[in-house]
Amino acid sequence: MAVEYSASWVVISLGNRFRGDDSVGPYILHRLRSQLAGIAECIENSGDMTRLMEDWSGRRVCMVDALVDDSREVGDILRLDGLAEPMPESVSTTSSHGLNLGEAIELGRIMQALPLELKLFGICGRNFNTSAELSPAVIDAAVIVEKEILEQLIPQGGDHQCTNNP
Amino acid sequence: MTKNKTIKVDYLARVEGEGALYIRYDDGGVHDVKLKIFEPPRFFEGFMRGRDYLEAPDITARICGICPVAYQMSAVHAMEDALGLKPTAELRALRRLIYCGEWIESHTLHIYMLHAPDFLGYPSAVDMARDHPKVVQNGLQIKKAGNAIVSLLGGREIHPINVRVGGFYRVPSAGELRPLREQLVEARDMAADTVRWAASLPFPKFERDDHNRYEFVSLSHPSEYPMNEGRIVSTHGLDIAPAEYDSHFREEHVEYTNALHSVLVARGAYLVGPMARYNLNYAQLSPLTQQVAEEVGFPPYCANPFKSIVVRSLEVLYAFDEALRIIDSYRQPREPYLAIAPHAGTGYAVTEAPRGLLYHRYSICDQGKITDAKIVPPTSQNQKTIEDDLRTLLPKFLHLPEDKLRARCEQAIRNYDPCISCATHFLKLHMRRATGGANHGS
Repeated sequence: MAVEYSASWVVISLGNRFRGDDSVGPYILHRLRSQLAGIAECIENSGDMTRLMEDWSGRRVCMVDALVDDSREVGDILRLDGLAEPMPESVSTTSSHGLNLGEAIELGRIMQALPLELKLFGICGRNFNTSAELSPAVIDAAVIVEKEILEQLIPQGGDHQCTNNP
Repeated sequence: MTKNKTIKVDYLARVEGEGALYIRYDDGGVHDVKLKIFEPPRFFEGFMRGRDYLEAPDITARICGICPVAYQMSAVHAMEDALGLKPTAELRALRRLIYCGEWIESHTLHIYMLHAPDFLGYPSAVDMARDHPKVVQNGLQIKKAGNAIVSLLGGREIHPINVRVGGFYRVPSAGELRPLREQLVEARDMAADTVRWAASLPFPKFERDDHNRYEFVSLSHPSEYPMNEGRIVSTHGLDIAPAEYDSHFREEHVEYTNALHSVLVARGAYLVGPMARYNLNYAQLSPLTQQVAEEVGFPPYCANPFKSIVVRSLEVLYAFDEALRIIDSYRQPREPYLAIAPHAGTGYAVTEAPRGLLYHRYSICDQGKITDAKIVPPTSQNQKTIEDDLRTLLPKFLHLPEDKLRARCEQAIRNYDPCISCATHFLKLHMRRATGGANHGS
């Protein structure tokens, strides 16, 4: 039976899993899938930004992607509130598929198809060649982002968040 | 006193992928047009060597996030050609159905998000959506119906995982297809309205002279509008089997780009994609599609690439009609796929990706490992024609102010919906106008 996720968290990865550091999003998503079973949906998006509006509308989203930013070190992690904070160019222009992430957010705003919450995790990469491995610094960063997403989605040791105040 | 002008656009928006274009011209004509694609040299073909033949559809699907089904279809057909495997009529119909879904997704994305802003005078889909939210909403809804087809048959919308050599890993029951029908019927009506809307857009007048006519190249099938099978034909008399592709088409290294330019050995540049399919296969379109084309006064032959948006909209309408026909006559295959033990061989396939011919050739050994692979995507086949269009177009529009001239050039590139992401990293547009004297800037 299909699990209903409509009101819950969704983790979305951007990037191409065969293009070196661009695959860090799908890599993190792959590691999260089994840990988030029944808690959050995991969606791999490799470039169709219009799909984002369908996938994130009215939901809470963690999004992971690779960045190209010469002013940062490989493996640097950029954390953003995608709905509230201004988006640096290295993030807003992510995806080369006609529309970019910044446009997808703006389009979502106009079409009233925004997520309730959009946590963006961008990891700076260096090698985007086809069939290249992830850079070691990117793998280290991926582990940190994975942990942060798990803490966000499973705050209390694997169970749902406790709301009681002792 | 001489006056040089330079127009520079660092990023050509609303195309799939990134690259660069350089144009040098003056009042006497266009002297240089270079579409530069900084493609790493065919890593996917090397990447395939040593892999199992069953992996080809899923690996090549990763070449592009927009047209994965096309890569899967060409891969499975080429592998089946190598193995002498003929899928049943029921499996063949399902493949056609999933291809309909991809045509709908890809064409609708281009029509509404990438190309329409050119005709309505907006720099982006976002700006267009502010004034025309209903137009964008329609596009998203039509595309969603295409997503639903790919999702149902492919297991998911992006990078479907259910396609395999010999058929599918799992096939749907008639009951599973039924809920799709209502959505497709509704979206088909919207697709017909899209044709009416697209046909009403203002089109620049542009047709090539008789001595410089396009050679349109597409598949042709005796009983259906081409998707997965057929012979390769052209408006200049080409008529060959996919296995003869390498004898008639050649890829050339060009100094300024890493991507290979594909040319017809006999005649050079040619054009693949919706206009080629339409012009060579109009008679195979469904009655409804022909009826709507006639209603809007769109002829069975179109040589103005700016009108390719109308052709795409007609193909979307056709894809809905065809999808409904397949669903209505669906019989669940007895087996989801035909199994066969691998043996050494070479197979060839050409299928019609949304943007045009997609050629795959594989050789495999007795253990089923890939020993050689060749992939020629549609955009590399259209590169020379895109450049030729710019050479032909520019002198006709020199009266325009520079910003409008630049926009017209970008629009001319978008006529082809180039999927540069299959092959590149970055696209910049540099236009250099030299009204005599030395050039400076770029």
